[in-house]
Amino acid sequence: MTNVNCDQLIDYLNGTLNEQEQKQFEAHLAECPECRDIVDATGELPYLAEPVQPDAGMKARILDAVFDEGEQDASETPAPKRERTVPPVAVPKRGFRTSKWTPLVAAALLVSLLGNAYAFYELSDQPDAPTAPEVAFETVDLQASETFEGTGTAALVHEEGALNLLVQANQLQPTSGDQVYQVWLLKDGKPIPTGAFTPSQENEGAVFFSLEEDTEGWDTIAVTLEPNRGNTAPLGEVVLSAAIEPEA
Amino acid sequence: MEKISDALLYERVKGKDKEALEELYDRYEKMLYSYLCKMTGDRDLAEEALQEVFVKVWRGIGSYDESKGKFVAWLVTMSRNSAVDLIRKQKKPSVPLDEIAEVESTDSSVEETAEWQEKSDQIHQAVRHLSEEQQKMVQLFYFKGYTHETIAEKCGIPLGTVKSRIRLALKKLKTSLQAVQEGGVLDDKREL
Ligand SMILES: [Zn+2]
Repeated sequence: MTNVNCDQLIDYLNGTLNEQEQKQFEAHLAECPECRDIVDATGELPYLAEPVQPDAGMKARILDAVFDEGEQDASETPAPKRERTVPPVAVPKRGFRTSKWTPLVAAALLVSLLGNAYAFYELSDQPDAPTAPEVAFETVDLQASETFEGTGTAALVHEEGALNLLVQANQLQPTSGDQVYQVWLLKDGKPIPTGAFTPSQENEGAVFFSLEEDTEGWDTIAVTLEPNRGNTAPLGEVVLSAAIEPEA
Repeated sequence: MEKISDALLYERVKGKDKEALEELYDRYEKMLYSYLCKMTGDRDLAEEALQEVFVKVWRGIGSYDESKGKFVAWLVTMSRNSAVDLIRKQKKPSVPLDEIAEVESTDSSVEETAEWQEKSDQIHQAVRHLSEEQQKMVQLFYFKGYTHETIAEKCGIPLGTVKSRIRLALKKLKTSLQAVQEGGVLDDKREL
């Protein structure tokens, strides 16, 4: 090793240099192409990991935390909060994610999904959250596979052990012959079919599915393009999918 | 439209531009999250570490400029160190040494994009040109959440030796990676 500073590279990467050493090493880094090249190579190491798709709500959670913390820290007046969808019913702490749906659409959906529970909620003497029935409302944006143009959203409503599921998709490629878009819920890679649909003239499609007794704790929702209706396991390719929060 | 460089976006972040931060986040979310999931074996911990990294970026802690190398490498170093700290705080037993390839990715629905595939092929190829000992050093330091001190302790090797072995491993990785990226195929005669 030509320069004594080069020896500190691993301490630098390990974050164990003190402030002064850190400054000195950074000055060295600016001068030493060998150390800098080694540092650059470490930027590729994450690709040794298998890709893991973050769940749909992570970005909003992290950026909210980042900007909140920044605002608390700075003495400037806080910037107006970004607009967010408001959950129309009581939700457990992590059940709700932001979505592209407007509050109006979400509320309309809930009315149709919840039926009696929603009526009870409206008529209750104390309409505030504490007395609301145990309902968890979760929406996720479905991620399109690489070769698929469409988009989709799923709403999951957990209510007293039952699960209501609504999937909407847009910009779908038309089906031909017996082909259908099939929705699946998966746990640990094992799927159950939860409804199928074919796209409308406008290339949109939707399906509603209700599971009376939902005990599985699903971790993934997926849409495949199946060659025919009624398959119990997917034969076609996954076109849309997302990780979902298993219900505790 | 020309893609704005990371360094330029970072300059805008220093001026408290939220959109610039969001752009950087979008560029590296999946890469860093995948890495952190592998390292911690825990999605929640990975998310916490990732959040810490972007809080630091936003608050200008450990400020970056191009003299420190590539921006992404700087992010990876911060990510690693955040995860090391979190793992230590949680006293979470780190993944056993012999399960190096098997840290499960919890999501079966992910499909690798072409870009990921290419990057992944390159780094995997490059790693194959390291000796077993060198591969182990990279795994322990970057994927097991071990500090160089812990590696020295666990392997019964002096700290100085551990540091120079990690350095040599990374140096060879860099050379192999460059060869792979430039030539597509690595010529064994160019081995170090
Ligand atoms: Zn150097």
